[in-house]
Amino acid sequence: MENFSNLMTGFSVALTTYHIAIMGAGVLLGILVGVLPGLGAPNGVSLLLPLTFTMDPISAIILLTSMYWGALFGGSTTSILFNIPGEPSSVATTFDGYPLARKGQATHALTLAFLSAGIGALFGVLVITGLSSWVAKFALKFSSPEYFAVYFLTFASFVGMGSASPFKTVVSMMLGFGFATVGMDTISGSLRLTYEIPDLIKGISFLIAVIGLFGIGELLLTMEEGLRFDGIRARVSPREVLKTIATLPRHWVTLLRSCLIGCWMGITPGGPTAASFMSYGLAKRFSRRGKEFGKGEPAGIVAPEAADHSAGTSAMLPMLALGIPGSATAAVMMGGLMIWGLTPGPMLFIERPDFVWGLIASMYIGNVVAVVLVLATVPLFASILRIPFSIIGPVIVVVCFIGAYTVNSGTFDLWLVLAFGLVGYVFKKLDYPIAPLVLAMVLGDKAEDAFRQSMIMARGSLAVFWSNGLVGTIMTIGVLLLLWPLLAAGISRVSGGFGRTPSIRLN
Amino acid sequence: MRMFHGMVLSRFAMEIATGCVTALAGAIISYGATEFGTGWDDAGPQPGYFPFYIGLLIVLASLGVVAQAFTQHRRTGQVFLTGEQAGRIVAFAGPMVAFVALCVLLGLYVAMTVYLFAVMTIQGRFKIPLAALVSIGTAIAFYVVMEVWFQVPLLKGPVEAMLGIY
Repeated sequence: MENFSNLMTGFSVALTTYHIAIMGAGVLLGILVGVLPGLGAPNGVSLLLPLTFTMDPISAIILLTSMYWGALFGGSTTSILFNIPGEPSSVATTFDGYPLARKGQATHALTLAFLSAGIGALFGVLVITGLSSWVAKFALKFSSPEYFAVYFLTFASFVGMGSASPFKTVVSMMLGFGFATVGMDTISGSLRLTYEIPDLIKGISFLIAVIGLFGIGELLLTMEEGLRFDGIRARVSPREVLKTIATLPRHWVTLLRSCLIGCWMGITPGGPTAASFMSYGLAKRFSRRGKEFGKGEPAGIVAPEAADHSAGTSAMLPMLALGIPGSATAAVMMGGLMIWGLTPGPMLFIERPDFVWGLIASMYIGNVVAVVLVLATVPLFASILRIPFSIIGPVIVVVCFIGAYTVNSGTFDLWLVLAFGLVGYVFKKLDYPIAPLVLAMVLGDKAEDAFRQSMIMARGSLAVFWSNGLVGTIMTIGVLLLLWPLLAAGISRVSGGFGRTPSIRLN
Repeated sequence: MRMFHGMVLSRFAMEIATGCVTALAGAIISYGATEFGTGWDDAGPQPGYFPFYIGLLIVLASLGVVAQAFTQHRRTGQVFLTGEQAGRIVAFAGPMVAFVALCVLLGLYVAMTVYLFAVMTIQGRFKIPLAALVSIGTAIAFYVVMEVWFQVPLLKGPVEAMLGIY
């Protein structure tokens, strides 16, 4: 019941006119970002972050999280109407969303997507409400070795559970750590890896990397495909919405399964993209109408959308309670928290309960606001994509570079964005996962500090990572996950190629 | 973009090239780390310890990527870039690089006006008055949002100085 009273306090923080207005603005910006190609949730949040430095942290996080919800909804809109996923996590929505819209049921498809997304998100917030205090209390027992072990587990699970080649995951992740070490060392104060270039002294901001990798990289990929928008026109009428709501109970099994998958993938660093694909795959396998999938089957929209959003919301749980983000967007927000002077992790629950519970309460309200707003504004945002790309394209480029400039007010960062854009483009085409790179850049310093502090505590003995049951268990699971590709290869060889593990795409 | 027609970059070549570039990056990181000591002293690992092994891991994993390229992508005929795609990329990225160069010289507002105007008229084949209206309007809109609303100053150049805008 302690959680409940905390949540009520949170609602009193979040339910002010100012905060509701911020939610509305955030959601609308988010939908815009989600609809436009090249601008996605991680990138949109990075662009907006420098503008929140002067805001009160509670208002700032409400703005950024609302933008995140909006971006998730915007991504589904383009998937259904244009067959172009606005977000990587809404790729699975195109499989059945676009065919259903082409059958003349665009409104049905959109409403179904938004409602199941809303249910998924609320499920995720309920999980956060229930678990966060408990996780945070548990995490209070952590000291440096435990923290390093949890970081290790996070990164090991990328290597072990990703579908990309483990070598590529390691390259991407370690490059992230490498970029994070550039500049001032927090423990010794020495300037590392600056190679006598003065611009590198202040380090490489993860925001610059995200804007380049996700923004410019994604734009280059979109351009290469030779962009053409053949949208389906949709008008959302209240009657149509009510009719769709009436069909929702039919999908309760799919909804429940998708929400659970989403929460699991969001809390572990699988992320929304993996969750939506997995949920779609399972829905198809378990459905009696499995053959209809891909031709406009409603359950094929419900499954990825609910999983996508429940993963997106529940990714906030490890970020708040442990200081470990469950998705690239959560990683950017965590970077924001640190810039606002807050330390994500269990102490946040003790020092700033108003912040934590205000944020959690705002997730309930924000998602309801988002469902209503997205239903109301679909025609408006769909019409934005009908503006010729020779206008929209350069404007998106300009927005990315303005965002990059506002991070540090330096022109060197503009060139860095171009470089990261090239890296993002090549990495995406060659199936290098990008999320580990961003996560490593945000967590790099913290992981290194945890490691070095553990080593100082233990006088340089690695045995400290197996010194008690808790840290030993986490480390062992991490090592097993890290070795999983090898183990799986071994098992499949022994069993004659039968035991190939189902792989998931992490993004 | 007829001149790029037929130019094809194979996936195999690109895998090898990327593996070599990341290996080089790893080597540079490791080399840079040696400056600060990569061993241990009484305060635990020296500042170069962590980056040194990160660089080393990048080199090793890059070699793994190259080796995998030989087993998985060699003679598979997978294409990284077709001539048509290369043309589209150059048409998009060329003006973008020019825009960044202009930003450094003339500031963001002037650069974005020129960039938008050029892309609209040359690539989008819009009429000059419309392109001028849209590009100048965009710059003014960004000025209002950034400088007036959010009070975040963007880079300005000689043109703004001449007009007396700071």
